[in-house]
Formats: sequence, structure tokens, C-alpha cells
Amino acid sequence: MPTAVSSTDLVPERPRRRHPVSNAIRAVADVGHVLRFRAGTVRHRGLSALGSLLLLGVTAAIAIVPAYVEGAGGPDEAFDVLVVLPTALAGFVVLAIVSAAASGGGRELIPRDPASIHPISPTTDHLGALLLAPLNIAWLIQAWALMGATAFAVGSSYVYQAQVVVLLWLVAGTAFAQVLAWTLEGVRRVPHGIVGVRMLNVVVFGVALGLQLTDQMISVFDSLPTRWFVLGMIADDGGRWLASVGVVLAGALVLAVVGAVPAHIAAHRVPRDELRVESGQYASRPSPRSDLAAMVRTDRGSVWRAVPMRRGVAVLAIGPGIVAVLGNLQWGSMTILPGLVASGGALLYGVNAWCLDSRGTLWRESLPVSPRTVFDARALVLAEFLLVASLLTVAVAAIRAGVPSLPEVTALISTLLVVTVQVVGASMRWSFKRPYAVDLRSSRATPAPPSMMVAYSARLALSTTVTGLFFSALSQADDWSLSLLIAVAMLSWSGIRLIRVRRLWDDPAERARVVTTVAVA
Amino acid sequence: MNDRPPIVDVRGLHVRFGEVEAVAGVDLVAYAGQSSALLGRNGAGKSTTMRVLAGVVPATAGTVIVAGYDVRHEPLMAKRAVGYCPDVGGLVPRATPWEHLQLTARLRRLRDWEDRARDLLERFELGDVAHRVTAGFSHGMGRRLSVVLAALHEPDVLLLDEPFDGVDPIGVEATLEVVSDARARGACVLVSTHLRELAVEACTTVSVLRGGSRVATMASTEMLGEEGARAYRGLLD
Repeated sequence: MPTAVSSTDLVPERPRRRHPVSNAIRAVADVGHVLRFRAGTVRHRGLSALGSLLLLGVTAAIAIVPAYVEGAGGPDEAFDVLVVLPTALAGFVVLAIVSAAASGGGRELIPRDPASIHPISPTTDHLGALLLAPLNIAWLIQAWALMGATAFAVGSSYVYQAQVVVLLWLVAGTAFAQVLAWTLEGVRRVPHGIVGVRMLNVVVFGVALGLQLTDQMISVFDSLPTRWFVLGMIADDGGRWLASVGVVLAGALVLAVVGAVPAHIAAHRVPRDELRVESGQYASRPSPRSDLAAMVRTDRGSVWRAVPMRRGVAVLAIGPGIVAVLGNLQWGSMTILPGLVASGGALLYGVNAWCLDSRGTLWRESLPVSPRTVFDARALVLAEFLLVASLLTVAVAAIRAGVPSLPEVTALISTLLVVTVQVVGASMRWSFKRPYAVDLRSSRATPAPPSMMVAYSARLALSTTVTGLFFSALSQADDWSLSLLIAVAMLSWSGIRLIRVRRLWDDPAERARVVTTVAVA
Repeated sequence: MNDRPPIVDVRGLHVRFGEVEAVAGVDLVAYAGQSSALLGRNGAGKSTTMRVLAGVVPATAGTVIVAGYDVRHEPLMAKRAVGYCPDVGGLVPRATPWEHLQLTARLRRLRDWEDRARDLLERFELGDVAHRVTAGFSHGMGRRLSVVLAALHEPDVLLLDEPFDGVDPIGVEATLEVVSDARARGACVLVSTHLRELAVEACTTVSVLRGGSRVATMASTEMLGEEGARAYRGLLD
């Protein structure tokens, strides 16, 4: 009985390669399959549908209502807004690039491990990342700001035709960001690629700083080709408007297709930073002196050795600081920054803090240590993570801000403390209420499903921005102690809420619910 | 009939997760110096029973006494007496084996544990990776380290949930040695597994669970060979 192919046998025919176009069609169809799978895993469908409708409603309102307010499309304030629209269009693209590059190519439609058993092509992954890009509060706020500003700037006569251009610009800008993000990810994955990308970041920052210091930034913005699109938005000539729409639409389509190329290249390379963390050796240190110190040390390792956290916190800590430096942000307005950074930091893992231990949660829960110590360690490490990022941002932002007054200092310190406790409290509450099984190994991993991430980020952004604005107003008061007094009251309130969650964590049945949920990652 | 008090004494254990009853009235006793196997199909309630004994999941009803401590009322004392190797993962992904050992040693107030830890790591062929984060470990390496962590403090009750799953022969041998050592020093060992032959090799008694309840307990010798396989098969249906 023959057991192998003989040299006299006919060579078996190799499977025929599929045509690139049919591959692309298949990849697009797979996006639909994966999306349906994801939609099937949504826990509260009614609530999600309501949330989506609300989001669309808010977007439509922002895109139209400002066009009908007094002064919209007029020669005064509206004209000033129109003048900065080209810069705003470019700013959106810059933010989209930072967001996509920081997350290693954008969000995953389906997490890496469960996806690995399916024949999902990098093209599907790329298109999925494009679709998920708007489910990010930074993207949404920027898009809303752009739409609102456009509506106000052009007025009711042009609002609908202008918003078509803006919408297409959002798609094209996101697709462009995705192309760059995949390219950078591909570069990161070659030998010395990580160093190369870091150097590129330094160069880009240096150039931006140089332009700002030499007062050339505005002339650079003025020379941006985005002006052509803004003029197209308000063209009375239908042909000119159509030309703008056609160019942006064609650009969006081309960029969406082109993005698949670097996505394939990146997918075929090994993620070096993840590999370095997973194969890295960590020298032993002396035993910790207390149970709390032991738990804190373990949690710190889980946070600072995770690629998404390291990369995310670097972007969060430095990015807003650089923007503040370039925008010459003053001490009185700096109270906005800690809330922004703390919210972003919490979205890296804090909103699902128990997922840090992943499959190790069951073993950790079997250790003889008080649940309160476990809770305290987790909350402390999160607070420390957020504070480090916020302090770094403030330090960078302070470079050009001069010497602050005493009320400005106390307002900023108060904001730092209040938003940290606020965000830690909200994060621990959500982590307890809605745990998710998540593996945070990949730089593209997020601690919760995309729709929940939007909900969490919107709530965090709202509460911390209000706090920041409140202390910004207090920084202008004559009495420096006013901020501190109000901070004590706010800290007490947030502290009480945090203690309430800590008490809930004491319940073994509730703890078991969390532990058994996150342990299956 | 054993006239010594049991180290593990489970009476009328029920565990419910919402609508699902994972354990529906398990009674179980296990004694010092004895190793018992929990056998059964997927979803029979083996791992949930082990999690209750380890103090990870609370019982919905029933009493669970481990090393003289009621797990519901004295969970920390019970946890101190137990060494637990969970069925899934069981390792903190971004901590090294040595850091895992350091944590368990600290929380259990162990002194001079380092030599035993090194010896266990060597026996399970994990000495070379003692300072590497476990995220990059293979499934088998993870299982072996979980057994090391459960055994480090020489617990009164050693709970091994699927310790042989995906483990190479050297790891299996080392695990059997750990079970044998634990019995020799008078510990009570409970092993949950799908692998009947290894259960027979590692344990003196076998309890079979089906649909969340215990359906039989017998000497492991009764589960030996073809006849034992047939008897086991009969208990599963």
C-alpha cells in the first residue's frame, strides 16, 4: 500500500491563488460577518441601540443647529471661525494619526486570540479598524467640534453642502491616519524599528516646536491645501462643490484601499515590543515588607509591563503637554489637562481594572489576603498611573507658561487630586459592575467593547472637563485657599463613593462574579 | 470507614450562577494522607467544587469545611491551609514565576522558602525561566508552574484542578511526585481531571461527578484497566 507520493506519481496540483480583487471582495464581506458576530455578543441590545440613536441625534444636532443661531454665516465671529477651518481640518487628521498610531493600527474588530482561529485577512482587520475609529471620544469630540464650527461658520445657506464635504473629510482623514499608522507599525516591527519611530517622533516634535518658536506656525497653517476644500464647501457654483466632494471621496476610497498594503506588511512581521516584554527577564528584588506592598508590586508589574499601557500613557502624558506648549496655554487654563489625561489613562485599563490579572485572577483570589488589601492595591496603582501621566503633562505644558500665581498653583494641585480620585472611583465602580474578559497583551487591545468604551469615555470626559473648568475659574480668584477648600469637599464626596465600591468588593459572591468573568480571557 | 476526622468535609454543596446550577448537592469527604480524584465530564461540577474549596467561589448552599475551617465564615484561614492550582491559566501574565512565588510566600508568611522554590522549579524544569514573564509561557509550562505555586507552602490541603492537562511526561512525573510527597507528609490531596488513568495513578480514591452531583466514590483500583474504563463510562451516562 503506497504511503507517500512517488517520483513517478503526478505532482499534485497546487491550489490556485485567488485574484487580488476577489480577495478584496471576500475581505469586505468578512467585515460584515465579524461585525454581525460582534453585534451578537452585545449584552444590552436595547440600551446599545438607544445609545447609538442618541449618538446619531447628537451628531446631527451639532452639524445643523449652529447654522441657525444668531450670527452664523455672518461677517464677524462666524468669519473668524471660517478662517480657522482649514487648520481645524488638518488638526483632525493629526489627531486621527496620533490615535491610530498609538493603538498600533487602530482597534480590533475581534480580539487577536479568538481571531487567530479564523481566516481573517489583514484587509478585513484594516477595514474593521477604520469602522471602529469613530468609537473613540477623542475622535468624536474633534469631529463634533469640526462639524459645529463648520455649521456656524457657513450659516444656514451652505450648511448641508458643507457638511457633506466635512463628513467625507472625516472619512478620508481617518483613512489617511490608518495608512500612516499601519506603516509606522510595520516600521516598528523591523530590527531597530522602535528606536526609529521614537526618533521620528522627536524630529516631528522638534520641527513643530521650531515653527512655533520662530512664529512660522501660522504661515504653515495658511499654506495648507485644506483651504481649497473649505472654499468648496461655500461655493455657489455647483461644479466647484462637486469637485471638492469628488476629490475627498476619491481620496477616501483610495486611502481605504491603500491602507490594506501596510496592514498586510505589518501583519506579516513580528510585534517586537510585545515579544520583548514577553521574553524579557526581570531580576528578582527583595521581598516586599507588607501584604499591600506585595499586591501593589504585582499590580505595578501588570500595568507597566503591558505594551498598550506603556504606549498609551506615553502618548497621553506627552501629547496634550506638547499641544499646550504649541498653543501657549496659560496656567489658568491648564486645569483642563489633568482631567483629559486621567480620563485617557483610565480608558487604557482602569475601566476594567480586574482584567489586569487575566487568567491569573483565580489563583490570586485563592491567596490568603484580605479583599480590601487587594482592592486598595488596585486603586492605588491606578491612581499612581493617572497621577504620573497628569504630572508629566503639566510639567511639559509648564515649559512656556511662565511663573504661576498662588491661586493658579492651588487650583492646579486641587484639580490633579480631585480628577484622580474622581476617575479612580468611577473606574473601580465600572470594573466591579461590568467586568470583561480581556487579554491586554496586544497594543491594540482595549479593556471593554467599543460601544462601552465610548460610553465610559463620554462620561469621564464630561465629569473631568466640568471639574477642570470649575477650577480654572477658581484659579482667577484672589483667595488661593478657595480651591483647596472646595477640593476637600469634592475629594470627600468621591472618596465616599470609592469606599462604597470597596465595601461591595467585600461580598464573596460579587467578587466571585468578577473573578470568574475576567479569568476566562 | 475512617475513624479520623476528615480534612475536607463537604455537605450538600450547591453552587448556582444565575439560572445555572453548577453544583447540585455534592457531599464529599477527604482525609489526611489521602489523595482523592474528582472525575466527570465537562460541566459535571468538578472545577466549581474545587473553586469553592479554594475559597474563590462561595457556596450557594451547604457547608464546606477545609482543614477545620468553615470556608464561608473563615475564608482567610481556609485559604492559608490550601494550595490551589486552578483549571484555567492560574498565572498573572506580566509577572515572572519568581514574583509569583515571592507573592505567595509573603502572603503566607513563609520563611526560608527560596531553596524549596528553586528545587520545585528545577523539578518542573522551570529554573531557566524563573525570571521571565509568564505571558510567553506555553500551556504546559503554565500548568507546571501552577502546580509549583500550589505546592510551595506544603499546604494541608492540595487542590489540583486539571494539573496534567497539556503537560509533558516530565511534568506529569513531577506532579505525581508532588502528590506523593504531600500524602507522605500527611496532607490531603484532591485532583480533578479528565484523565482516568492518571487519576488512578495519583490517587487512592475516586469520586465521579455527573450533572453537578456525586454519583459514586470508590477505591481507585476499581477504575483500573479495561474493566475500570467500562465502569467509568457507565457512570458518565
